[in-house]
Amino acid sequence: MTALSREDWEDLLVLSQTETAARPLVARLLAHWCQAHRAEAAALYIDRGNLLEHECTHGDRGFPEVYDPASPNPEFARGLAMVRLPAGALLYAPGDVPLADASTLLISEAAKALRLQRQLKEQRFQANYRGVELEALYDVGLKVAGTLDLEQLSEEILLHAVMLLDARRGALYLLGPEGYRLQRTFGGEAEEAFEADDSTLARFVAGGEAPAALLPGARHLLGVGIEIEGSPRGLIAVGDKESRRGVGPFRAADRRSLGLFANQAAIALENARLHLQALEKERLEREMSLAAEIQRQILPKGSPDVPGYEIAGWNRPAAQVGGDYYGFLDAGAGRFGLALGDVSGKGMPAALLVSTLHSALRLLAERDGVGIGFLERLNTHLADSSTANKFVTLFFAQLHPETGELDYLNAGHNPALLLRRDGHLDELGSGGVPLGLIRAARFESQRTDLSPGDLLCLYSDGITEACAPDDEEFGMERLGAILTSYRDMPLPELIEAIDGAVTAFAQGHPQADDQTVVLVRRVG
Amino acid sequence: MTESLRVTVDRQDGFAIVYTEGYINNQGGEEIARVAYQLIDEGRKILLLNLNGTKIVNSIGISILIEIIEKMIEIDGKLGFCSLTPTIAKTFEIMGLSQYAQIFPDETLAIAGLRPSA
Repeated sequence: MTALSREDWEDLLVLSQTETAARPLVARLLAHWCQAHRAEAAALYIDRGNLLEHECTHGDRGFPEVYDPASPNPEFARGLAMVRLPAGALLYAPGDVPLADASTLLISEAAKALRLQRQLKEQRFQANYRGVELEALYDVGLKVAGTLDLEQLSEEILLHAVMLLDARRGALYLLGPEGYRLQRTFGGEAEEAFEADDSTLARFVAGGEAPAALLPGARHLLGVGIEIEGSPRGLIAVGDKESRRGVGPFRAADRRSLGLFANQAAIALENARLHLQALEKERLEREMSLAAEIQRQILPKGSPDVPGYEIAGWNRPAAQVGGDYYGFLDAGAGRFGLALGDVSGKGMPAALLVSTLHSALRLLAERDGVGIGFLERLNTHLADSSTANKFVTLFFAQLHPETGELDYLNAGHNPALLLRRDGHLDELGSGGVPLGLIRAARFESQRTDLSPGDLLCLYSDGITEACAPDDEEFGMERLGAILTSYRDMPLPELIEAIDGAVTAFAQGHPQADDQTVVLVRRVG
Repeated sequence: MTESLRVTVDRQDGFAIVYTEGYINNQGGEEIARVAYQLIDEGRKILLLNLNGTKIVNSIGISILIEIIEKMIEIDGKLGFCSLTPTIAKTFEIMGLSQYAQIFPDETLAIAGLRPSA
C-alpha cells in the first residue's frame, strides 16, 4: 500500500484553503483508498443541495458529473457501490466492503474540507458578484446621464438587466399613444405590441402570470413596469433564470433588482423623451418663425398711394403667426381693393389658410375683377383647399377713388364702421356666411360711397372682443367713440390711439385673438 | 443579437485562439468549456479567448470561465482574454479573473504576451 507522504498530510490539514493543491491530493487519497479496498476505480462527490457533484476520480471508469442519490442514473449506477460521507459520497467499482478505516476517514475529512472550500468559493463569488451588480447599476446611471439616444439606452438597460438577473432572454417595451411597443429584445422573439390597457399585462407586472405571447417559449418570466411618478411608461421583462442545471423561476430578490433597472430606465427614457420633445419644439419654433416671416411678407409693408385718400393698416398677431389678414390690391380699371379677413383657429394651420386667402384674393381679383360671383369663386376655392371646420370671415371692398363709390362684400365679418363727416356712424354689415364653410354659399355685394372727410374703419374681432379682467369686451361702441374723438388725427396716430385704448381697457389681461385695423380717410 | 453563442477556433503553433460571438451564459459557457477542454486534450496549454463578438457575460458564464482558468492552472497552462467590452473587463476585474488569467486590449498584444517564446 502506498503510504501518504509528509507533504500529503500537511496539504490535508490546510485543504480547505489550498484550492490548487486539492485535486492532486484527493487523487492520491483516492488511489490510496482503492488500493486499501481493492477497488478498480473510485470517485469522490461533494454535497451540493440534494445532489452530489463530482470532485475527483481514480481509475479508468467514467463517473457522472452530477449524481442524484434519490434517483441514480441506472447506466452509471450499474456495478457501482456508494459510501455516504458526512460531506459527500464515495462511489466505487466494487471491491471489499469498506470499513470505517483510516483511509475512508481521510477521504471523509477531505470531503468536508472540500465542501467548506466550495462554500467559501461560492460566498466569495457571490460577494464579488454583488460588486458587479452595483457597478452595473452605476454604469447604467452614467449612461443615463451621458446619452439621450433612445436606442442605445434601451440596449444598455436591457443587456444589463438580462446579464445581472442571469436571464436567458429579455424584452423592453415603451408605452406610446398606440399602446406598448417592443423597443428592444434579446435572446429571442417577443410580442411586438400590447394594448395600453391589456389586463393580462397589468396582472403580469403586478406579479401574476405572463401573457403567453410575451416571450414565446420562455418557461419562467418576470416583468416590472417602467413608471414616472406613478404614470406607466413601459415595461421590462426577462425570461428563464439560468443555473448550472438549466433554467428556473426568478426569485423575489430578482424582482427588486429588475425594479432598480426599471427606475433607471424610467429616468433615462424620460430624459430621452424630453430631449426629443425639446428638439421637436425647437423645430416647430423654427417653422413658426419661418411662417411668421412669410406672413410678414404677405402683409403690406406700407400704405398705398391713392390720390385723395389716406390709408393705413396695422396688425398684431396673438401668437407668433396669426390668423388675421389684411391687404391692398389693384382691382383693375382704376379701382382699388382692400381686404381684411380673420381665419378660424390659430398657429400654423391658420397661417397656411391666410396664405391661401392672400394668393386666391390676388389671383381672382386680378383675373376677374371684383364683380358678381367674386366671393362665390373665392368661397369655392377656400372650401376646396382647407380642411373641414376651417373658415374665413372677410370684408372686401372695392373703391373707385375718383367717385368715392365703395362696393363691398362682407362674408361673416364684423361690420366695418364708416364715420361720416357729419359724425354719423354707419355699419357695413354682413352679406353672407364666412368663406370656406358652405361650398354653394351665395354672397351679396353692397354699395356705399366715401365723401370727403369720411373715415372707414375695418377691424378684426381682436379689437372689439378684447377682454378686460372682468371679461367685459371692448365693443364696437368704444371703437366708434375713439374714431369720433380722434377723427382728424393722422391715421398712424389714430391706430396708436385705438391700440392704446384697447390695451388700457384690457389692463394686462392676456388676449387670445390677433388684432388688425385698416383705416381709409377721404381727404379730397 | 444572437440567441446562442457561436465559437470558432484558430489553432496556431503552440496555442489556440477561441473566438466567441454572443451571450456567454450557461449554454455559451459550456460550449466554450467544451472547446477549451478539447484543445487541452489535444495538448495545447496556451489558450486565448477573444471576446470581440460578446457583449454580455452572466454569472453562470463567469463561473464556467473560472473553471476553465482553474483547469489551466492545474495543467500549468496559460489562459488569456482579449478584446473585452469595458463592462466585461470591469466584471472580470471585480470577479478576480484578472488575477489568474491575463487580459489584453487586443489580439496582437495578446499573442505577443502569451506566445511560449514571449
